[in-house]
Order: sequence, then C-alpha cells, then structure tokens
Amino acid sequence: MASEHPLRSRWASLSLVAVWLFSTPGLAQVGTPDTARPADAPVQAPSVAGALPAGPQGSATEARPADGDPGPDAPAALEQGRAEEPSTAGLSLDARPASARQDLADDAPQRPDFKPWAVPVAVVPGLLFHGLAPLVAGDTHTAKRLFALEGTGLGLIALGGVPIVLTGASRRTIAPLYAVTLAGFSALGISALANLYAVTSPAFDPGVAPPMLPPLELELGYQHVNDTAFDYRHFVTVGAQARFESLRLLGTVRVDPAEGNTQVRLGGAWRLLGAPERSLVGTDGSALDVEAFGQFHRYPTEGFAMVSGEVGLRGRLAMSRISPALAGSFAEVSLGTSLETYTYAGAVSDGNLHDQLLYTFGYGVWLGRGGGPFRGEAMLYYDHRKDSFVGGLRSRGGGIVGAFGLRGRALLTESWGVAAEVQAGGALVGRLSLIYALGGER
Amino acid sequence: MRVRVKVWAMAALVVTGCGMRPAENRAVMDSKVGQAQQGGLTLAVADGLAAVRELAPGTLVLWGNAPAFSARVEVGADAPSDWMVTVRNAMPDAVLVVQEEGGAALTPEPLPQALPTVKVWRVALRAGATVRLSVAPPDAESREPFRFLAMADVQEALPSVGDIYERMRRDDSARFILFAGDLTESGTRAELLEFQERLEAGSRIPLYATLGNHETFSRDAAEYHALVGRGSQSFVFKGVRFTVLDSSNGTLDPWVEEQLDGWLESGRQGTHVVSMHVPPQDPVGMRGGGFANRGEAAGLVGKMARAGVDLTLYGHIHSFYSFTNAGIPAFIAGGGGALPETFDGVGRHYLAVDVGAEDGLHQAALVRVD
Repeated sequence: MASEHPLRSRWASLSLVAVWLFSTPGLAQVGTPDTARPADAPVQAPSVAGALPAGPQGSATEARPADGDPGPDAPAALEQGRAEEPSTAGLSLDARPASARQDLADDAPQRPDFKPWAVPVAVVPGLLFHGLAPLVAGDTHTAKRLFALEGTGLGLIALGGVPIVLTGASRRTIAPLYAVTLAGFSALGISALANLYAVTSPAFDPGVAPPMLPPLELELGYQHVNDTAFDYRHFVTVGAQARFESLRLLGTVRVDPAEGNTQVRLGGAWRLLGAPERSLVGTDGSALDVEAFGQFHRYPTEGFAMVSGEVGLRGRLAMSRISPALAGSFAEVSLGTSLETYTYAGAVSDGNLHDQLLYTFGYGVWLGRGGGPFRGEAMLYYDHRKDSFVGGLRSRGGGIVGAFGLRGRALLTESWGVAAEVQAGGALVGRLSLIYALGGER
Repeated sequence: MRVRVKVWAMAALVVTGCGMRPAENRAVMDSKVGQAQQGGLTLAVADGLAAVRELAPGTLVLWGNAPAFSARVEVGADAPSDWMVTVRNAMPDAVLVVQEEGGAALTPEPLPQALPTVKVWRVALRAGATVRLSVAPPDAESREPFRFLAMADVQEALPSVGDIYERMRRDDSARFILFAGDLTESGTRAELLEFQERLEAGSRIPLYATLGNHETFSRDAAEYHALVGRGSQSFVFKGVRFTVLDSSNGTLDPWVEEQLDGWLESGRQGTHVVSMHVPPQDPVGMRGGGFANRGEAAGLVGKMARAGVDLTLYGHIHSFYSFTNAGIPAFIAGGGGALPETFDGVGRHYLAVDVGAEDGLHQAALVRVD
C-alpha cells in the first residue's frame, strides 16, 4: 500500500502515522456516513471520485472542474448528479485507472449531512473525546479515524512525556523525547479541531486547495506588539515571496521606526514531495518541504542583536485523506532546529551558540475556490519557538510552552488581497498586511 | 486516584497564571513584606528583608531573609513596654541593636536558644517612641572574603533534605545558604512550615531564598510571602551585593526589572551576585527550560553584564551546569533532591562559593551530597 503513494511512508513517520495508512479516500474503510448524495460525486482530490461539497442539506450544490473554478458546464453536470472527471494535470496522487477508481469510489464514504445537534457535542464533551461529534452525527467513518488520531496523540505524549519526567528532562535525551511529545500534542490538537470541523463543515461549501499560487507575492503591512518586557510596539512589515518550480524564496523585514527594533528574515523552501505551488492543479495540496532560514534581529533599546540559522521540514496534509467530512481542511506540522548567537553592546563578550527545537502544528481551512467570495486559507496553530516577537507563554511552568496563533491570507481580487495574523504567547501580536500577487492566483 | 487528581491539578496550575504580567501580583506582594501594625506597634522592615511572622502585644517574631536588616518601629501610646523580639533564620552570631530616634541606644537582653539560627532578645520600648531595630552579625560591614553555599529545588525531597544540611555542617566557613527557588513541591503553608522546621533543626546557618515556580502553585506564592519573604530583593553582606529575583514565570515583571535597574546601579562598583529560579538561558537550548522569550533573556543577561555582575546562580533544572551568560559566570545548582536529571552523573549537590568585596568571585566548587 505504501508504495502506491510517495508521500505516505514519509508522512507516516510523523504524528499522523496510524491514520495516514488508511487515509487515502479510495482505500478508506467504509463507514456509515449519513448522506443523500450519489456515491460517484467528485471530490476535490483528483485521484478518486469522492464527495462534492455539500450544501446544508447534504446535497450537491455546485460542480467544478479540477482547477477549482466553476466552469460553464457545471450546471449541466449537476443535473446529471455528477461533475466531470477532474483533470490529471500536475502530480497525480493516484496512478490507478479511472475505472478502478470509480469502483472504489462507489464504496467510498461521502460527506455527511449537517447535524446541528452534533456541534455542541464537538465542544463538550468532544474536546475530550475527539470522534464523538461525528459519531453522534452518524458518521462512524470519521469518528473512527479521529478516535484513532486522538489515541495516537495520547500515545505519543505518553511515549515522549513519561520518559521526560523519568529522566528529569535529561540533556542527553530531551530533543527526541520532546519532539515525540510535541508530535503527540499535534495529533491531539489536530484531532480536536477536526472533530469540530467534521460536524460544522457540512453546513457550508468547503474551500479547496489552490490550483496555482502566484510566482511573486509582495506584502506591506503593520504589526502591533504588546509585550511588557519591551518598549517596541508599532512595526512596519515588508515581505516578498517568489515561487519557482520546486523552490520558494521568502524574505521579510519588520521595523519599529520609532524604537529601532529590526528583524530581517530570509530563506527558502524546497518541495520534496507534492506538486510545486505554481502548479498544484489536480492535487489536494498535500506536500512536504525542507526549509532553511537565516535571521537577524536587532534590539537597540536592550543593547543586543541576535543572528540565527535554522533548518526544518514542513508538511501539509489534506484532511480529506482522513475522511471526506474533513474536505476543505488541512493539517500542518513542522519540525526543525535553529542555532543562534547574540552580540551585546558594550564590553560584553559572549561566544555562546544556543540551539532551539522548532516545532509547529496547525489546523487550517482553504477559503473559497469552491464558491466563496475570495481565495486563500486560514490556520489555527501552535508555535514552540521562543525567539519570535510573541515568545512563549509565561506560565507557572516557567517558559516551556510556546505560543498560539491564527493566521489567514486571502486574495480579494485577481491580484490584491490581505493577510492577517494574531498570536498569543508571552506577548500579544497582531499583523495586517496588503498583498499584491504578481501574475494573479487561481 | 489522588495521584491522578494531583497531576491534573498541577497541569491546570501550570497552564493558568499565564498572561501579560503573570508575576505582577507577586511584585505587589513583595512591597508589603515586612510591614505590619498590631499590638500597639507599627513595623516596617527596610527593603522587606524579613517577614513578620507574629506581632502581638509584647511579642514580635520575624523570619529573616538576609544576613543583616533593619526595621523602623513606631511604639503606640498604649503599647506595652516589655517586648520579646525573636528573629528566626538569623545569622548565628547576629546581634540586635535598638536605637531610639533622637535618643540613646537601648540595651536588648539576649536570651539563650537551642537552635543556632533562632535569636531572641528582651527589649524595653518606651510608649510613643520611634526606634530602629538592626539585626546583623558583628562583621556584616567588613570587607573580608567569605563563603556562602548555593542550592535549589528541594521540592518533593523535603523529607530527606536533612542529608544536605548534614553535609553542609562539615564546612565551618560557610556563612549562609542562598536558595534559588522551589523549596517545596506545591508551596502550601504546611510544606513551607515543614521546610523551615527542618532547616532550623538541621542547619547551623540560615537560608536566604527566592521563590520558584512550585511556590506559585499555592495562592500565587501568598504563603511564601507570608512565611519566607520577598521573591525579589537585594541585600549587602560584607561589601558583596546579593540580588535575588522572582523569575518563576520565565520572565521578570516590569516592576521587578525597574527595581533591578536600581540594584544593578548600586552594585556596579562592587561585587554583585544575582540569583533567580528560572535561568534566562537554558544551556541546553533544545529543552528550552529558560525564559519564555529569548529576546527578554538576552536583554537581561546583557544588562547584568554591562552592570558588572560577577556571578549568576540559578535553579529550576535539576542538575549541575557551569556556563556563561553574556560572559558572566553562571551556575545551575538544582541538586536539592527534586526529581533529578538522569545521565548527568551528579546527584544531590550544592555549590560552595567564595567571594570577596574587593576581588569578586574567587571560586565556585561543586559539593556532592550523595
């Protein structure tokens, strides 16, 4: 099974191991989803026919070609109860013949109906039992996977956390144990949010992954930081992102013109698995990148500067692979490390190199492209790093916990859009930017 | 079942208390340490260097949190004239000097005590007078080098902390213990009282402390402030300035940082030792046991370095580390017995530190207990 999908074995090594192995829609176990739609309605992933975004009553309300834009033939396709076969342009995630895929699709679970009474269950007691809400809604297929994901998360937390306690967070074992523990929290957090999404998403048309992101994206914005430990507050932010085939280059500068605090961050990402961002058409948006960044951060009031370098892996998984009920959402996990050094003003000598575990996980949704007014994405996330503006939570456990955030990006016209981010850690950070997408985005 | 409840309660406590200024309440409580009005007496311990444990007509009991401190006392018109002044956690050779404002020095009568760190004097105070009480060993103002001991993180190992005091008793030269937080597991009144009873029973020298994150688990360290004293304070002994800071949330409250600026300025020309529980920078960065914001940490250690701080002492991490932060010699001595870091080959330990007012840090030696 694993050899059919180049991404699968790598992803399985991360936190979504158990669920991933059964996550390809065409290979998924048949549950008992409550659906009124025909089984052969198309799904956003091009590899198999699956579910079409359902309206409040669970019926297909829109058909679209694989590039995400409703085409002129869509109404006709709707009348026939199915849309045209998605394009196989770009990286195909399933090499099986169309007939075989169709056979599988006949047995594949569908997006369930919206059951409003399941939504509060997703909160209480759903925050403790992550498959409970879809179970109450009659979607046993999703429920099983979310219970499995939660169990995986709890297992990883125990696997990493118990030895951390028993070893007293030993310097010799802390890095891998910490990574495993955080992976557990990732799975737990993702399953909790997926539990909520699974029962709310049937109420609306889910977004789909972008078929193509612009070759060049420019950003200009404002960032506000409220940190009682620092005088800086108001930042001007400038950013640029260039996308080539598998390579993506990024750069941001954040400056407080009054106080002088300046952060410059430059780096890039190389797509190891998945289609390049400029030609995502026909894919579900799942990908794995290796990233490298350099950062310079000057603190003039505090009298020091930090220079750091970091490398890491960042993966994104379309949650429709877990269950059709999760179509339109994705999970993202990154793992890396950084090395940093500080230079101090005055006659202060310090040649120390400080390492840091970098870890993020998030749960996001694609916005639009399936009928919404704009195109983009939003993600709720946790970030473990402590050298950012937001820093970690100043908790009664000291400074071990990172920060939480919500970020979104959406194009409102062909080329213009906005990006926004709020973060809560030791500080509160808010950022709002204007985006110009050169070449446009679909 | 009780263990499970305790684990959940601990987790909840760790997560709660987060906020923009999680240590603000404790900084406010600091300012009230050593202030009391009762039994016809109004008392103000200078810089909050002692906690008022009892104040009743004829009785004053203080818990000293510095080798030398003074207090201003206003004696009410209806106050009794006969007073028993008790200082617990005092230097064994401490003496009490009582000076009436604008008048002659009074002569307190020392009363013999079984415990070396408990000092009791009988004093006659005139109704309506204002007096200054000074408690200090005779050599507190001298500038000769001396030795103190540094340790942290006893927590759940409280029942066996006597082993450490026993090992310390072999060293006659040590003047006091500087403790970098986490005296107890949960910071409850009962635990802190037990800590102090064991200290008085086992140690021949006093212990001056700052609080750790575990002390905040009970009413945000209210019991600590009532029984031990301030989380952030500064005192001078034999020409060496000692500053302890409340960093138990992985940050310094802005109010504490403001006070620190003053203490750094005061200590700029001499030897200055700074201690706090959570180290600004964990020498094992992957673990991240330091401050919540690395920028704040770098700003703090840079500031201390520019102010000429000679030595930094930390806890929180249950092992021994010797490193530098912004060039300042730094030690983590978290060997008080709390769940130890494994594979470090250290075990329970403390530091014996030799310092002098004129020439700073002489040496810091690791002393193994087990």
